[in-house]
Amino acid sequence: MKKKVLSMFLGLSMIVSLAAGCSGGNASEDTPADAENTETAAEESSDGGSITLMVPDWAIPTEEQLAEFKEESGIEVVVNEVGWDDIRDKMVTAAAGGQAVADVVEVDWSWVGEFYAADWLEPLDVSDEVKADMPTMETFTKDGKVLAVPYANDYRLSYYNTKQYEDAGIKDEPQTWEEVYENCKTLKEKGVCDYPFALPLNAEEKTSTYLMWLAYTMNGVVFNDDGTLNRDSVLAALQYEEKLIKDELVDPADKTSSGMDAYKRILSGSANFLTGPTSFVSKSTNEEECSVIGQIMPILVPGKDAKATVTMALPEGLGVTKFSENKDAAKKFIKWYTSADMQENLNASNTAIPTLNSVLKKLIDDGTIKNAGAMMEEAELIVSPFPGGVPSYYAEMSNAMYNAINKMALGEMNAEEAYAEMETKVAELVKAE
Amino acid sequence: MKNKILPYLLLAPMILIMGVLVFYPIIATFSYSLKKWKLTAPADIRFVGLKNYAVVLTSESFWYSFRNTVFILAIVVVLTTVLGFLVSVLLNVNVKGAGILLAIAILPWALPPYVNGILWKFVFSSGYGFMNKVLIGLGLISQPVEWLGSRWSLLLLVSLVVTWRSIPFMALVCLAGRQSIPEGLYEAARIDGGNTGTIFRTITLPLMLPFLGIGITSASVTAINVFDEIIALSGYSDLGKNILVESYLTTFSFLDFGKGSAVTYLVMFFAGILGVFYLRSLNKEVEY
Repeated sequence: MKKKVLSMFLGLSMIVSLAAGCSGGNASEDTPADAENTETAAEESSDGGSITLMVPDWAIPTEEQLAEFKEESGIEVVVNEVGWDDIRDKMVTAAAGGQAVADVVEVDWSWVGEFYAADWLEPLDVSDEVKADMPTMETFTKDGKVLAVPYANDYRLSYYNTKQYEDAGIKDEPQTWEEVYENCKTLKEKGVCDYPFALPLNAEEKTSTYLMWLAYTMNGVVFNDDGTLNRDSVLAALQYEEKLIKDELVDPADKTSSGMDAYKRILSGSANFLTGPTSFVSKSTNEEECSVIGQIMPILVPGKDAKATVTMALPEGLGVTKFSENKDAAKKFIKWYTSADMQENLNASNTAIPTLNSVLKKLIDDGTIKNAGAMMEEAELIVSPFPGGVPSYYAEMSNAMYNAINKMALGEMNAEEAYAEMETKVAELVKAE
Repeated sequence: MKNKILPYLLLAPMILIMGVLVFYPIIATFSYSLKKWKLTAPADIRFVGLKNYAVVLTSESFWYSFRNTVFILAIVVVLTTVLGFLVSVLLNVNVKGAGILLAIAILPWALPPYVNGILWKFVFSSGYGFMNKVLIGLGLISQPVEWLGSRWSLLLLVSLVVTWRSIPFMALVCLAGRQSIPEGLYEAARIDGGNTGTIFRTITLPLMLPFLGIGITSASVTAINVFDEIIALSGYSDLGKNILVESYLTTFSFLDFGKGSAVTYLVMFFAGILGVFYLRSLNKEVEY
């Protein structure tokens, strides 16, 4: 009997321990290596100190740049390259245990609200001059506090294939969303492009943000002042997407493939129109990525009656973790990394789009950034669509939004029902905050 | 005296490891599940008793995920058991190159689950997937099929992908079980006039039940804990989410450690019930 009980106990322990893999327990368990990195970096400091930097591959400075920073400041930077998706998880798990995952960390615009509410970021001092030259800074500001400094610019710009327009006999670039729709129909009817509109519809973040900037550029508003969805604007944007899907102007594969795959259709000519990341300016001139070089034109985003007067930015920034023991050195690094000179250098080494408009203008004017089209003009229209800054419940709100849109795309609900589903969830989140 | 202490000393490292890595997290997670603990509200962490469980158990989202989990579990367990057993029969041959056959058979088991999911996503991708290309090439369909575009087809695919990964372990366990049965028993049965069916029913199956128990338990835990394949195939879509994805989203995406821990405990409870059931029904004493 004893043996039977013991064997049952051990067997159950095995099952439970396997199931415990999904434990939401104290997250600091995941981060000893990161904590060790921070400690080691601190120990190594001899002169100006040493800091750790956790960023994705595209944000890593070259060894020469880091050596230059060390020479200037005496601060050594220990780089910890982590995939973009994993940084938030690592930050969350470490911070939940009161630890610094690194001194300087990547901060995506969409994480700002929750990181601020959780009190994980150290406010940064930024001069008014820099703030005025860096419109995306607004996205990283909550209650007047700057929580991260944007280093890579990304705002919404529209692109269309000029050759396909010529082939279909369409003369002018689209000014309004309605014109985009009509032109897409013409392209399809004339057999120039089967699925002219590139639209992410998979259940992922890009699907939510697309709806946000569609509503924003179409009607100038996404959220009411209390944080709830603006019904007229968001529903109109959803109905516009529904119309595109029903008229088969969007590739059915966009419903389940990644948002980036949907965007990239314009690079192969399988889509004609895209409103997407600024990185497509360089992608559209890169032979390895684009098979229709010379045909893609970056233009101002369309609006309701004329070109939109606002655009949404989705930049990435660098912040200092609250638990860092090297805050001053970390702040010095961020100041250096986001300076005008470094933005120019990072554009050359990492193809990062500058966040300082003065640097962006310089690079466009001297021809460093090719095929810029309306890039500079659009950069001056950046305004955050969030009345009180990015909310702390952004992740949950975005999840509700992209799932509702995906269900609409898969035919499980219509635009009204999809709106009702996301409106209910957002209202619930606003109330709970 | 020395003999009384030595066994405990030898067991101590394992008890320590189990205590720190298994039992402490289990107890800690339970204590979190009794708290209101949202990371975005650090000033409002407090004891709420079983409220998180009540919220989770009355949420439509949880039961939707639960039904998806049960669907995946049923398909994976049935297919893994049947196919794993059949593969073990095929592998139980004494021919040249049997080792290579075995190595090939366990290959899917060695693949990281996420890689497994990505691999199959290429096959079943809606637009340009391998399967659509093959079917269009053969003239069986004219338009690509959206394999990942409906709840049940997505869940079926997830189940098949997990089954593909689980079969090798089941086959290995069954092979070990089959090879541990003394040949003398078969000889005696044949002398007594037993046919293949009778021998299988009265010797092979009963003596392999404990091994099947291990295999089924492992397949069940794998099916309940499937995460990577779902993420690779459909991301964090509501469509195919199971209770583990629900747990991850609640805990790490929405930063609600209290509610997320409650979901985690319910997952463990579910796995525990299954474990008791399997162990009671299958882990019986075997006598030759």
